Amino acid sequence: MTQNTANKTQIRINTLPHAKDLKDPMMYYFLRSIIYPKLPWKKTAWTGAGFPIELLWAYDVFPLHPENMATVAAARKQSQRLIEHAEGMGYSRDLCSYCKTNFGAVDTRIKTSLGGIAKPDFIAITNTICDTHWKWFQIQARHFKVPAYVFDCPSYVSGTSDETLEGYIDYLVEQFFDFSVFMEKHFGKKLTEKKMRRVLEKSDRLCELWQEIYELRKAIPAPYSSAETSASFFPLVILCGVDVGIKFFEKILADLKARVARGEGTLTSGREKYRLLFEGIPFWYKMKFMYELAAYEAVVVYEPYTYSFGPRKPLNLSLDETLRHVARMMLDVPYSYNLEKRIEYFKRCVADYKIDGVILHENMSCRPSSSGMMDLKEAIQRDCGIPVLILQCDMNDPRAYAEGPIKTRIEGFIELMEANRKSN
Amino acid sequence: MHTIAYFDSSHDMPEEVITAAGFSPMKIMGDVHASNDPADQYLQKFFCPAARSFLTQALAQSHQWAGIIVAHGCDATNRHYDVWKLHVKTPFLYWFNSPIRNDAVAKRFYIEELKRLIAALQRHYGISISNDSLKNSIAQSNDIKRRLRKLATLRSEKDISNREYFTLVSACMTKPKEECISLLQQAKSDWESRPEFPSHKKRFYLTGSDITYAEWMDLLDECGIRVVRDDLSIGERYFANGFPELEDPLEAIAEYYLTIPRPATKISLDGRIDFIVQSLKQTHIDGVLSQNLKFCEPYAYDAVTVNNELRSHGYKVLHLEREFSPAFDQQVMNRIAAFTEML
Ligand code: SF4
Ligand code: SF4
Repeated sequence: MTQNTANKTQIRINTLPHAKDLKDPMMYYFLRSIIYPKLPWKKTAWTGAGFPIELLWAYDVFPLHPENMATVAAARKQSQRLIEHAEGMGYSRDLCSYCKTNFGAVDTRIKTSLGGIAKPDFIAITNTICDTHWKWFQIQARHFKVPAYVFDCPSYVSGTSDETLEGYIDYLVEQFFDFSVFMEKHFGKKLTEKKMRRVLEKSDRLCELWQEIYELRKAIPAPYSSAETSASFFPLVILCGVDVGIKFFEKILADLKARVARGEGTLTSGREKYRLLFEGIPFWYKMKFMYELAAYEAVVVYEPYTYSFGPRKPLNLSLDETLRHVARMMLDVPYSYNLEKRIEYFKRCVADYKIDGVILHENMSCRPSSSGMMDLKEAIQRDCGIPVLILQCDMNDPRAYAEGPIKTRIEGFIELMEANRKSN
Repeated sequence: MHTIAYFDSSHDMPEEVITAAGFSPMKIMGDVHASNDPADQYLQKFFCPAARSFLTQALAQSHQWAGIIVAHGCDATNRHYDVWKLHVKTPFLYWFNSPIRNDAVAKRFYIEELKRLIAALQRHYGISISNDSLKNSIAQSNDIKRRLRKLATLRSEKDISNREYFTLVSACMTKPKEECISLLQQAKSDWESRPEFPSHKKRFYLTGSDITYAEWMDLLDECGIRVVRDDLSIGERYFANGFPELEDPLEAIAEYYLTIPRPATKISLDGRIDFIVQSLKQTHIDGVLSQNLKFCEPYAYDAVTVNNELRSHGYKVLHLEREFSPAFDQQVMNRIAAFTEML
C-alpha cells in the first residue's frame, strides 16, 4: 500500500441504517423459489437479464433466476467448485462463469442457500445481451425436458435508423403474440391488460424509487456506493411485480435523503476524494473489492449495470402500445447499448455524476460487454479528460482475481486521478 | 471494385442479393498467416481469433471492396460491427439482421430484412435489383450447390484430400460465381478419375467451428483422417439444400436460409443434432471429430450436448479445442493419433 493510503485504511463504507432490510425481499424470493416449484398449480420459469420480467409476473409465473443464483453461489464461496465441476463435464474454461456455475449447481444438486436452483416448468430468455443466455438455457431446457421460448432480439447496432428500429420492434411484438400462444398451449395461461397494467405499475414504482436513489447519488459527498447498490438492486432483477421491493427501496430512499440533508457521505471520513464509475458486473466472490476502495477515499457512484435494471415504464397505454414499449426496452438497455450510444451515455454520466475516473471491468466471461471497450476507454479519456482503468477479471470465477496485480493497478489508477486533478 | 465482402459467422448472408445487385460476394475468411496486431488494437485477445483475423483483413483490404455487409450470427458479428464501423474505411457498411429463430414469425422478419437490404443497395449504388435478377442469382446458386453436393459425395469414395475439398468449397464463397462454376467443372472431371479411397485413411465426420484455413485440413490428413462428411458453414451447410422454386424470389431466399441445417449460432440444438445423426446414417464413418476454435463460444456450448448425444448413438467422438495457427499442433496430433488407434 502506498504512503498515500496507509494512513487512510481506517476509512470505511458507512452502510445505510436500513441496508439490513434487504433480507425481506431476499427471504420473499428464496422461500418462494423453494416452495413454488413443488406446487403443481404454481408455474415457474427460468429467466435472465434482458428478459422483461414483468411479462412473467403478468402471466402469474414465478421467475427463477439462474444468474442471480450464480451470484449467490459466488458470495457463498461455492462458484469455483461448481465452475470446475462444469469444466469436468466438458465445458470450456473460456465460457461464461455464470453459466458454468449453473451447470455445476444443477449437476451437483447444490442447496438453494448455496446457489442451487429448482427445475422450472419452462424457460424464457432472449438473445438481447449475449449468445450465452440462450445457448445456456437451450441446453438446460433439453436437460430438464421443459419447453423453452427464446425471444429473438435483433441487434441494435451503431447507426441503426429509427425506421429499421421500428421494424425490429414489429418483430418483437409479433413474438409477444407468439409467446401468448406458447403460454396458452403449454399452461393454459392468458395475458390480460388488467394484470399487465398492475404489474407495470408496481414495476414502475420500483424503478421510480431506484431512479430517485440514483439522483441522490449525484450529491457530493455521495451517500451511497456500489458496495451497497450491487446487493440492494436485487428487487429490480426479479421482484418487479410485488410490493416487497418497493417497501425496501422506500426505506433506503428515506435513509439517503436524511444522509444527504446532513451533508454526509457514505465514507466514514465524511468526505470523498475520487468519484468513480464502475462498468460491468462486480466480482461477486470478492465484494470486499468495492468496500476496499474506501481506503483510497474513492467511491463508486455510478454503475451502468445496476442502473440498467431500473427503466421507467409508461403507464396508461393500451396493451399494444405497452408491448411496443417493452420491445423497445429489450433492444435498448444501457448494459447492451451499441458502441456509439454507449460512448455518449458514458460521457453524460461522467458529467452528471462528476466522475473522476472510470473502471471498466474487462470480463473474461463476458465478451459482449468487453467488445468495444478499448474504443470506449479512448473516447472517455479523450473527451472527458479523466483516467480510465481497464481491469481484466471475471465476475464469478475467483481464479481470475489476482489480488496483488489488481491492487497495484488500482493504486496506479488512484495516482493517475490525483495527477489529473492537480493538472486541471 | 466489383466485390462486396461479407462477415458471416455461419451461412446467413444472402449472397444472391449481392449477385443480383451486380457485385461479386466474397466471404471474409481472414488470413491465418498474418499477425492479428492490427485488429488487436481494438479487440481483446480473448475474442475469437478468426473474427480478429477478419477485422485485420478488412482493415488491410477494404479499399479493394465496394462495400461490406455483416450478417447477424455470433457475439463476434453482433458486437464487432460497431468496432468495424469506427475503424474500417468503406463506402458502404451494412448490418443484415438474420434471425436466430426459423419459424413463421422469423420468416416474415427475414423477408423484411431482405427488403431493407435491397433498398439500401439500390439507394447507395443507384441500381435497381429486379425479381428476374434475383431469380437468376438463385438459379446460379442452385447450380453451384448441386455441383458441390455431387462432388462432396466423392470424398468417401475417391482419394480427395481434405485440402482439396476445403479449397473448392471456400473458393465458391470467395470467387466470382462464373469462376466457381468453371472450377467445379474442372474438379468434376479430376475427382471422378481419382484412385479409390485410400485404405490407410479413416473416414471422419467433422463438426464444430468453421475451419477457415487449409493447413488445419492438412493436419487431419497428416493424422490419417479424411473428412467425408461435415456440418460446417464452409462445408456442407453451404450446399446441403437448394433454393425452392417459388414465384416470389424473396420467399425462396427466406425459405432457403431458414431451413438449411442449423449452425450453433441459431436455434435449435435439436435441429443441429438431427442433421448430424441423419448424415451419419447416410455415410459410413469411423469416427467424429468435434472441435471448437479457442474462444468460439457457440460451438463450445453445443459441443458437450452434441457429443454426448452422438456417443449415445454409438459413435466414437473426439473433441478438441484448437488454436488459430497454420502450424501443426503436436499435442492435437497426438490426441488424434491416440483416438484413431483406439478405433
Ligand atoms: S456475464 Fe455476459 S456472457 Fe455471461 S450471461 Fe451475463 S451477459 Fe451473458
Ligand atoms: S469461430 Fe465462432 S466465435 Fe468466431 S466468428 Fe465463427 S462462430 Fe463466431
